[in-house]
Amino acid sequence: MLGDMTSDLDSSFESSSDSPRRLVDDRDEPSLGDRARKRAYLREFTVGMVGYSVVLLGVVAWGGLDGTAPSRFVWALLPVVPAAWLLRTILRHLERLDEYQRALALRGVAVGFAVAMLTAVTLGMLASAGFNPQATPWIIYGAGMIGWAITSIRSGCQ
Amino acid sequence: MINDLRRRREEQGWSQGALADRLGVSRQTVNALEAGRYDPSLPLAFRIAVLFGCRIEDVFTAEPADLGPVIPSAPDAVGSA
Repeated sequence: MLGDMTSDLDSSFESSSDSPRRLVDDRDEPSLGDRARKRAYLREFTVGMVGYSVVLLGVVAWGGLDGTAPSRFVWALLPVVPAAWLLRTILRHLERLDEYQRALALRGVAVGFAVAMLTAVTLGMLASAGFNPQATPWIIYGAGMIGWAITSIRSGCQ
Repeated sequence: MINDLRRRREEQGWSQGALADRLGVSRQTVNALEAGRYDPSLPLAFRIAVLFGCRIEDVFTAEPADLGPVIPSAPDAVGSA
């Protein structure tokens, strides 16, 4: 089985015009597997982001979130559907990663979660003192995402 | 742990990406292994050994710090580097 796998790869490398020396030194070139994983992730992520953008525009245009109709709650929850797709995309991406990359990715998620929790506690304590900004959930969301992004970028450089 | 993965890869004339595809991991992981930033799981260590037709301990050598309080019974189980 391993032999079949490597012979397939051998044929793809033999068709390359690169010299052996060039192949040994191409440390910044992603592998075929890296490219396939990235393509699959980008494809699913793009579907999710386009869906999220379309739904969000629909909600802003027709949702009437400032009104009093009970249906506004349904409209307000609609973007959760493409957001759940994006969550599924990220979980599938984690499954595709190898053991080292998964450890790095999970470290990013852990830091993002910790930053979000710290922000929630900070805002909660401020709220108990009378400071209660309307956008509190989005501040927590943004802080968590920033923590995740910074850790992931740092991990990507390793 | 220390390893001679880079030397073995270069002997074969493979790039990091080519070795990564043969092992079913990313190029980033091969780079981290060669740089000594990451010690592989046992299954990955076995895949590496099978690919190069050798034993795991031919590729990877434990440094004294990796063993902690364990006193080795076989001196050559620990790298001299």
